[in-house]
Amino acid sequence: MPSSHHLQHKSSYLKILFAFLFIFSLVHLAPEPFSSSSTFSTLGEPSTAYAQEEEVEDGLEEFAEDDEFADEDEFADEEEEGDGEEEEDDKAYLTDIGIAKDQVIEPFSFLGFSNRKIIWVAAQLHILFASFILGCPMFVVIMEVMGARRTQGVRKAIILSNVFLGILIGVVIGITGEIIIGIHHGVLYGLWACSFAALIVSFLNYFHRLLNVKVSAAVGAVFGTIISISLTPVEHIETSGIVLALLNGAVGGMISNMIMFAKSDFKFERLAHEITKVIGMCYSFTALTGGLFLLIMIVVYSDFISYLLGNFPVLFMIVYPTLFILETIVMYIYVYSWDPLNQQNKKGRHIVCGIILNVLGLTLLAALDGPATFMQTPPKPLAELGNISEWSKIATSTWMPLNYHRLVGNGTFGGYMVGIIGAYMYLWSTKKEEKEYYDWVGYMGNIIGVGIMIPLPAMGYIFVSEIYQYDATIGMYIMSDRESMFMLVQGLLVGTMFSASNIYMWVSMKRIENAQRFFPAMKFGFILIVISVAIWFTPRRFFATMMPEPGMNPDMVLPDNLAFMALMISKNTAAFALVTVTFINYIFYTIATKTGKVHYGKINPLGVYVLIFLGFADIWLMSWMGTIRELSRMNWHVYKVFKDITPEKFAPTLAESGFHVTAIVWTFFIIMTATIWIAIKYPKTTKKPAIPASTAPQMAE
Amino acid sequence: MQEKTFSQKAKKIVPISLGLVVIFWFGSPALGLSVAVQQRLCGIVLVVMIYVLLLAIPKSEFKEKTFLQNLKIKIPVIVVLGIIIWFVAGSFGFPIWWQVEFVIFAFVGLIFFVLLDLRPMKPEKSQGQSIIRLLATYALASAIFITVTAQLPQFDPKYELEKLNRPPMKLSGLAGPEVIAAGREIFEANKCFNCHKVFWEGNSDRGPNLGTKQIGLYSEDYIKDQILNPRRNQAPGFEDKKSKKAMPTYYGDDISDDELVALIAYLKTMRDPTHMPVEGKFPDQWTWWDDPKIIAEGKIVFEGKEPATEGLNCAVCHGETGIPMMTGALDFRNENNPDTTKIEGDHTDKLLKDWSDALWYRRVTRGVVGTPMAPWGMIFPHLYLWKAEAYARTFHDPLDKRTEKRPVPPVPNKEEIEAWKSKELFLDPLL
Repeated sequence: MPSSHHLQHKSSYLKILFAFLFIFSLVHLAPEPFSSSSTFSTLGEPSTAYAQEEEVEDGLEEFAEDDEFADEDEFADEEEEGDGEEEEDDKAYLTDIGIAKDQVIEPFSFLGFSNRKIIWVAAQLHILFASFILGCPMFVVIMEVMGARRTQGVRKAIILSNVFLGILIGVVIGITGEIIIGIHHGVLYGLWACSFAALIVSFLNYFHRLLNVKVSAAVGAVFGTIISISLTPVEHIETSGIVLALLNGAVGGMISNMIMFAKSDFKFERLAHEITKVIGMCYSFTALTGGLFLLIMIVVYSDFISYLLGNFPVLFMIVYPTLFILETIVMYIYVYSWDPLNQQNKKGRHIVCGIILNVLGLTLLAALDGPATFMQTPPKPLAELGNISEWSKIATSTWMPLNYHRLVGNGTFGGYMVGIIGAYMYLWSTKKEEKEYYDWVGYMGNIIGVGIMIPLPAMGYIFVSEIYQYDATIGMYIMSDRESMFMLVQGLLVGTMFSASNIYMWVSMKRIENAQRFFPAMKFGFILIVISVAIWFTPRRFFATMMPEPGMNPDMVLPDNLAFMALMISKNTAAFALVTVTFINYIFYTIATKTGKVHYGKINPLGVYVLIFLGFADIWLMSWMGTIRELSRMNWHVYKVFKDITPEKFAPTLAESGFHVTAIVWTFFIIMTATIWIAIKYPKTTKKPAIPASTAPQMAE
Repeated sequence: MQEKTFSQKAKKIVPISLGLVVIFWFGSPALGLSVAVQQRLCGIVLVVMIYVLLLAIPKSEFKEKTFLQNLKIKIPVIVVLGIIIWFVAGSFGFPIWWQVEFVIFAFVGLIFFVLLDLRPMKPEKSQGQSIIRLLATYALASAIFITVTAQLPQFDPKYELEKLNRPPMKLSGLAGPEVIAAGREIFEANKCFNCHKVFWEGNSDRGPNLGTKQIGLYSEDYIKDQILNPRRNQAPGFEDKKSKKAMPTYYGDDISDDELVALIAYLKTMRDPTHMPVEGKFPDQWTWWDDPKIIAEGKIVFEGKEPATEGLNCAVCHGETGIPMMTGALDFRNENNPDTTKIEGDHTDKLLKDWSDALWYRRVTRGVVGTPMAPWGMIFPHLYLWKAEAYARTFHDPLDKRTEKRPVPPVPNKEEIEAWKSKELFLDPLL
């Protein structure tokens, strides 16, 4: 009894302690944590207060002689009591920062670099590495699933990975339906239908193979649609919405079924593992270049970076570091637990770890798109910008479109980087089996890159149409004024990439037996490609601005009756033709591989270099689009809110931009080449004992 | 079973495809499909036919060629093709730069096809060779991108910088040439040219050509309202869904009051003393001569019932039914009336039906000396005078009996516009 009494005492102490903790947390987690009076936002106050003081100081200097000053300024109340001017002098020590105030920081210039150019390098390098480490894990996880034997643990993890894939696919198809076809809440229909179809079909197939592919598609379509309709808040259910939901449900169900019962192929496991090693190293470079970017910003645009960070106190002091640290931890667990978990037969856990990594990565991407889109499209009315919540500043009108665009863009980027890894390793391998394997890796990279690139133009269209909605002036600056020639280069690059992808497929077909019957049809496809690229490239005018400036030839304009060649309708037709021809060639390729033997390792070396060319073109294009997006803010850091007053506030010429982007992409490739060598090739060159059997993929239970 | 020969397959594929083309071509109008859809459907069928035909070609050994063999066969083909493309593009009216572009793309096609038929590259003999090839690949890609970006048309950043460094506009006093020039800058800076042409300037027909529409005829208040609330009045011919949303609604926030005044001052100069205003979206355009709504409004003006032109009543002399009420007043019913000799110029031989727009405008705005036909343009907004003229013409050329519209005049070019000023065709000295 005494002991139980003692325990009772103990538990009541505990209760009191919990009660205290509860009250403490209640007090500290007061409602409206993001409001202007909250703990979080007061953290950001010193800088704001400092800014105000500076303004006052400027005011003092400017209006020292002005009688009206006293009425306007905050000091007015204090000054009423005594002699204004003397009071002012007495108080000056409060705002005088010392001799530093007189020092003028000169614009930086070194070996042809300037403020803007050096920040341009740092920012783009950072975003290129970030794209790699955010883009690759998306399909690395799926590849790991494809490579894993279907044990119970893995099958559980596959349910989760299928839902993850369902969400990605559903969002992409859904948003395309919403914006391009105009289906109300299409993204929600797509998201719910595809992810729930994936969940249901995966679950039904978990214990036994209950459904085949067709039935899975049907079950996914029906149940996905029912769930998505009940979850999507629309007043009237429209047929188009139901069709979209059915399509997404069917896709989700079908893919889930296929992945659940795919024959595990160790090649995928190996590929995923090797890319993960590269991701691990690139992670450090992302952090390094991020730090570099911030440092340079502080040196060259200190006023602006203070303003920007100050506008997002919770994001930059709490959310971003938390996500960053968590992602780092999960990333290293993912990289370094690969072999140990394989040995312990716990592949499922590793896959789950990969999905968590992706969720964190995508959240991070979305979080930083907030400030990026805030700079482009700050929420209106602009006069109220100081009074709106931090969340409103993140969730701007272009935030989700940029998220979609970068999600898909990063996937494409990752795919082409896999192609490059395959090509490099093919060149660096001497053994026959290695060559065969890396030939296959290159093929996979191209398929992933092209496959994900197909919805990319739609995502770009969605982003730009939102920009037009916000302020058509920005849209016009991009499409028909100073950036029109930049967009022309974009068209040419997209055409080059589709062409190169198809040439790679052509070269690959030559190493498949019996594939020659497709060659005449494929050649016809190439004629269509050249015509499509020519149409995509054709501009309305061959001068670089909306209206001819001095030195330009105003006659370089298409006559009105031919203007349709330069309009979206023609460009869309060309894009449709490019995508279709590529898809047809892919079908030919697939048929050829099923009906004839593929001689991996015997690809024409041209194919390998085409892959490298393709990767280079993709990353160049990505940097180019980043340049276009940044320049489209014109002479504003934050459009119509924070003006760039530095000497380099203008748009640089096409030639200068082209050269600069090329230099940046070269820098990236030099680092990537070294990284691929160190992460994959170098461990193979050192003499090690044979890999113990335990690290090989686990056997089926 | 013996496999069918190519000609046997072709005999099936071609008739079926052509049959489908015929069905789509003639069936589309019946199904209410647009011409664009009709053309696309037929195009897709033809492309599919070519694909199927090419797949039906019997399997043959694919022969790769060396680089020189490739060139020997393909260069003559591409040269002939290039010449054909050059002339065809020229005959369609493409300017020379576009002709050059198309021919360049023909040569890009040549590179493609050389690559496709090229013999496989020899495998690398050493790491050194693969490094050289690797660097060559990067160098090639970089060279292409650097050359393309360097060779495409460039702008000089100094002009943008000049604009950015200009002080904000401050206006005082009345609108003079400086204000009009400032307004033109506002027009350019806000990218109005992206959708609106001004006579020959600009290159988009997304919105009305403000020059040929003669937006300057309208009142300042109306123009201001069109800028600030563009959804309120949709320009005729631009009622489609896309056009309705096209004009942004934020210019009220973006443009300061002073800038707006200058912009309107510039827009007010958009007038044409030689042509009726033109409405509609290119190429489906019409002049006010054939616009029933304008003619109805013109009738109100003609009969003296328009409040904005109080004091103007054409019917007093020319008659509500067209029968002149005053001796000497022009009889609009007689299309063969010659013009008066009381005003100078080379118009006296012109019959009423052949009067140019410029003559109509001059007659009404400047009047006829020594007759009760006063220079109405000195008193009343010219917008209404044009409308009244459109109505007056219906007396000898009734709207319901017209078989065709008057052709839309060609857009005046720079020289013509300058000539209006030098010949003082406008009444307003600022125009």
